[in-house]
Amino acid sequence: MNPILALVAIAVIGGAVVVVAARDARTVSVALALTLVASPLLADPLAPPLGLAARLVGAILATYLLWMVVRQNRTVGMLPSPTSGSRIGWPAEILVAAAAAVVGFAAHGLGAAAGGPPLASAAGFAVATLAVVPVATGRDVIRVGTGLVLLLDAALLVRCALGGTPGDLEQLLAAGMLVVVAGAAAALAANARADGAGGFAFSDPTTARGRREPDAHPLDPG
Amino acid sequence: MTLLPFVLVTSVGAAIALLVRRNEWLAMASSMVCLVAAVVTALMIRPGEILMVGGSGVATTEYLRLFLVLGAVAGLLLVVVGEAVGSRRDAPAVTLGVLATSALALSLPDPRLAVLAATAGGGFGALVTLVSTGGRGASTVGIRVLRATVVAGTMAIAATAWIGRDLTDLAAQPVVFGLAYLAFAIAVAIRFGAIPAHAWAARLTDTVPESTLPLVTAWAPAAFAIVALAWADASIAPLGADIDLGSVRVVVLAIATASIVLASVAAFIQDDIEHVVGYAIIGDAGVVLLAVAALDPEAWAPARTWILVFVMARSAFAAWAAATRTTFSTGRVADLRGWAIRSPSLAVILVLVIVASIGLPGLAAFDARGSIVHLAIDGPLGVLVLLGTLSPLAYYGRLLVVGATRPAEGRGSAVAWRPVVSPLDVTDVRRWLRRTWSDNLTPTATAGAALLAILALAVSSGAFGASRAAAGLPPTLEVSTESFAPGVPEVPVGSDAPSAPPVDGEPSASPVEGGPSASPVEGEPSASPVEGEPSASPAP
Repeated sequence: MNPILALVAIAVIGGAVVVVAARDARTVSVALALTLVASPLLADPLAPPLGLAARLVGAILATYLLWMVVRQNRTVGMLPSPTSGSRIGWPAEILVAAAAAVVGFAAHGLGAAAGGPPLASAAGFAVATLAVVPVATGRDVIRVGTGLVLLLDAALLVRCALGGTPGDLEQLLAAGMLVVVAGAAAALAANARADGAGGFAFSDPTTARGRREPDAHPLDPG
Repeated sequence: MTLLPFVLVTSVGAAIALLVRRNEWLAMASSMVCLVAAVVTALMIRPGEILMVGGSGVATTEYLRLFLVLGAVAGLLLVVVGEAVGSRRDAPAVTLGVLATSALALSLPDPRLAVLAATAGGGFGALVTLVSTGGRGASTVGIRVLRATVVAGTMAIAATAWIGRDLTDLAAQPVVFGLAYLAFAIAVAIRFGAIPAHAWAARLTDTVPESTLPLVTAWAPAAFAIVALAWADASIAPLGADIDLGSVRVVVLAIATASIVLASVAAFIQDDIEHVVGYAIIGDAGVVLLAVAALDPEAWAPARTWILVFVMARSAFAAWAAATRTTFSTGRVADLRGWAIRSPSLAVILVLVIVASIGLPGLAAFDARGSIVHLAIDGPLGVLVLLGTLSPLAYYGRLLVVGATRPAEGRGSAVAWRPVVSPLDVTDVRRWLRRTWSDNLTPTATAGAALLAILALAVSSGAFGASRAAAGLPPTLEVSTESFAPGVPEVPVGSDAPSAPPVDGEPSASPVEGGPSASPVEGEPSASPVEGEPSASPAP
């Protein structure tokens, strides 16, 4: 096993753990940057310079778009807006990621010879597993959005593990896809944050929720 | 490479429109210019061209050209209709983004790359939910759209990666091929919002105007579905003789059938016409899923024909709904009594939409849908499903019956449909233009819907070479030289051997100047069956 690749895999998984566990949205975006920057390096052989550069630039741009939304600026009224974070805590998330990484490492190739390193498979499985909970149960836009970016990154890692190092055009397209998805999540998060005091949450906690009568067939009070 | 100007115009246009979105006028103006340029550059695309990038590349086909021309025209008309009836600020940018990503998805021969572009197109779609006030609820809907897109994209990336490699030493059970196929088919269902994965599409219908709906639920997923069809035909269908895929096909068929029938039921009982449009799109997407379930190369051409008809007909239906809402200031079906009597032009448009989407025997759409159902399901069940594909007649009939009912008291007057143009005020042309635009919102929306309906009917009847383009091969980086290889005995000029005329847009087969002639010699059989398609590549 290549020790450098192992370190990169640890960085990818560690960043993903922080993304799903942290409550400070700025910490989440920095950790996401670490995961996205390290992911294209998890290949053997390393991607061609042009493709690698595209992925790295794409990773930085994707996370910068999210950073612009989550940063604080009290002078313009942008107060801290936390994301919900993990409900089971970061130690449990680390254990979940470790278990998934073992499964991914053992299942490398998924029944056939693989063209990429087993560590990419391990990292892909771990990141995908970590992303499932925020994507499925997240109650704020940043948590779901970062989970979605992680999910795509996991798919790209598994694709690299199965088919080998992607070429330049594929890296360019992957970078573009990550930027579009992260940009869309950032725009939606900004839209939510600009609406009331609820931060990135799906519903404003300061607004009381009343019973909503059916629209189609209103009940006759008489 | 004539595809590059289109990709540049649409992608740069989308980026500019999003960057200057705070200046609504500037964003709209730049988007309109780029959409017009997109129509022009789409028309300039020449089929049969190849551009290599590293070890991969993009290739143009006649079908790609037709899809993009129709997409650019429909997108432009929907933006105009949206501006007339009130739409979202980012709708033009989303249109450009979806066109750019569709161009890439349909020109990339490698499905592993094409799904990346198609997924990015769905990401653009989520932006139509952005609003300037009350954005929390809209963002919630938008993130659900994004979630459906990314989950579908992840499944497709995994499926194409699993099969897109050397599997000669396969150690796993071959049934895993079925799982890969199932993953991609369900991904297509999720992207279309097919039943039971329709929750996000239903919420989207609540949130966005009708004119933006086809972008997110029809055009962007259509490119994704075309990639899925090409992948399934190339990777899964050839295995049909060796592997029993019956059980996974049943799942896909069930989703497709449920979507066709239940979406029509849902559209029939809805009170608002935008929900009728939303479920109509889901119902027609069920036929696309049937094509994915067919796993038969014979379904290739009818499936791609149907997709063209589907996106055009549903764009026209959405534009009709938008124009109707503006004309009568309501979208509730119960409040639209007498709409057809009061606005005969809208009635004509709806009839055109009905004929385009349902089709008539002999029209390309009708035949394509029948072929898809026949190839997907045999026997009496197939007949039932075929009847189910005619179920949209129920909600169309309801709309027409409501339209023919006597209008409510005080609402019986005919709607003015002629354009109103006041005398030109040369001292203040800008004000005159603004007034003329605001005086003609309803005629503009109606005209846009009429143009879309006519285009949809033309595509449905097989115009623009839709059927021939749909029968062409998927994009390929291989160029045939076999017909022109040295040593091939030349057929004497003027012989009785079968001959084909030279084909427009064919990639040049002449490797060196002065070598064997690139243009087919008279009397020599052409290697390419379809205009503009790269030839001699394996069947899809």
